[in-house]
Amino acid sequence: MERLDGLKVEAERLFTAKERRRRDLASLPFPQKVQIVVQLQRMAAPLFKKRGLDVRAWRLDR
Amino acid sequence: MEKTLEVLNSLERAGVLRRYAIGGAMGATFYTEPVLTFDLDVFVVLPESPGGLLTLSPLYEALRARGFAEEGEFVTIEGVPVQFLPVYNELLQEALVEARDVLYDSTPARVLRAEHLAAVAVQTGRLKDRERVRLLNEQTDMDLEYLLGILRRHGLEQRWNDWTG
Repeated sequence: MERLDGLKVEAERLFTAKERRRRDLASLPFPQKVQIVVQLQRMAAPLFKKRGLDVRAWRLDR
Repeated sequence: MEKTLEVLNSLERAGVLRRYAIGGAMGATFYTEPVLTFDLDVFVVLPESPGGLLTLSPLYEALRARGFAEEGEFVTIEGVPVQFLPVYNELLQEALVEARDVLYDSTPARVLRAEHLAAVAVQTGRLKDRERVRLLNEQTDMDLEYLLGILRRHGLEQRWNDWTG
């Protein structure tokens, strides 16, 4: 039981850190967020294509 | 993206659009953590044609003249597939009027306010809209008085309460 309690504390610490990371991402400047969206598109596009969806990552200018 | 915004600004300056603002997933991403999307939703107020019709045709023609042709429901502008959505109800009309002028690096752009993005998502009501409301609610400092006013005016309070209660 003590071991489970320890894991619960550790899990709570991880969830808190995860939430903090998401808030940090939310506070990034918009152009930086757009770069991240494009990275996500590059990762996801091949999967979408395999499902027959015609998607492509944005070609950003600067 | 900056070049895409420059094209949108030039369309507005030329009067092809009366006003535009970014909405949808990219509009939300302005305020929240980045979320996956493959298109840029742009809400537009169109000028009335001489016959009183509101149509996207003059916009598409102007884009073709600039070298950007439509592909289905999108027009790829400088590498970014843009979906133009004419304002189709009073909530969106209000959202466009109240949209925020922002800078993308040094390029002016306009984005719907977080409160309007949330209200539009509540009104649209799909599963992904519910997730958008959750993110906006958790990760942005929305003006709750202002948001409640919007929800009341457009009859969206009940669903908001159901989704966030």
